[in-house]
Amino acid sequence: MSEESGFTRHGNNAFVAQFSESEREVLINLAGQIIELLSERSDHSDEDPLAAMVGITTHDSPPEDEVLLRLLPNAYADGVDAAEFRRYTESVLRNKKKAHAMSMRVLLKSAQDGSIELDHDNANAWLGAINDIRLALGVRLNVEERSHDELELLAPDDPLRGVYAVYSWLGWLQESLLQALMDDSPNEVN
Amino acid sequence: MVKTKTKIEEEIQAIFNSDKPWVTIVWDDPVNLMTYVTYVFMELFGYSKERATELMLKVHNDGKAIVSTGSREEMEHDVARLHEFGLWATLQRGDQGI
Repeated sequence: MSEESGFTRHGNNAFVAQFSESEREVLINLAGQIIELLSERSDHSDEDPLAAMVGITTHDSPPEDEVLLRLLPNAYADGVDAAEFRRYTESVLRNKKKAHAMSMRVLLKSAQDGSIELDHDNANAWLGAINDIRLALGVRLNVEERSHDELELLAPDDPLRGVYAVYSWLGWLQESLLQALMDDSPNEVN
Repeated sequence: MVKTKTKIEEEIQAIFNSDKPWVTIVWDDPVNLMTYVTYVFMELFGYSKERATELMLKVHNDGKAIVSTGSREEMEHDVARLHEFGLWATLQRGDQGI
């Protein structure tokens, strides 16, 4: 999508990137879609409001939507255990994922010149958000079944071709941020 | 976390069965980048780059790997954090075999 270098490290705790206007728009738009997707499931009319306030839902079945199921997977192979875990944790997980996407969206919206600077915490939120978008696009692209070569050879008029281009670009962007973060990572001395 | 009585009994039993701890398993996924999986293991578990890379390769080559062991509660916490970062993780009793 661009010839730029993605993220680079500046000093100890700054990771900077320059986005073009179209890249910025794509990221803002995708982050918005993830937020919207994670906000779905409004069948909560019978919800206990007090329980909902502390993040407990009456809802414990896995999401029917394939993308949501990938973003909010079962924690146990056993259905009963998975349902109980979901009741107590799913809304918290949704909110954490939404917070990652919102952090990315807010920063991009305020950076009208496309110039982004992240600290370590912001970088982690971006990594999570970019990954959620890639997971969502990956389900739509059916990457479980299709080989890399098959995706590379999608016909020019195939609507998935554009999706694959964005998916690949996000992988490249995520990789550049990871390289910047792992360069001199303090964890390496453990 | 509110638990039913059977769950509490299970927990107490788990404490006394310390030789059979719970495990967190990460499953291979065609989307997550290898560098990303390594980074998440370093960030969440404080593993060295070498250890995190070794675990990532095990997930990649064997389709799954145990990434942490401990009490049920601790493993639920680990799974929740791995899900937050989009890794495909489950927990189970360590003696169940994977």
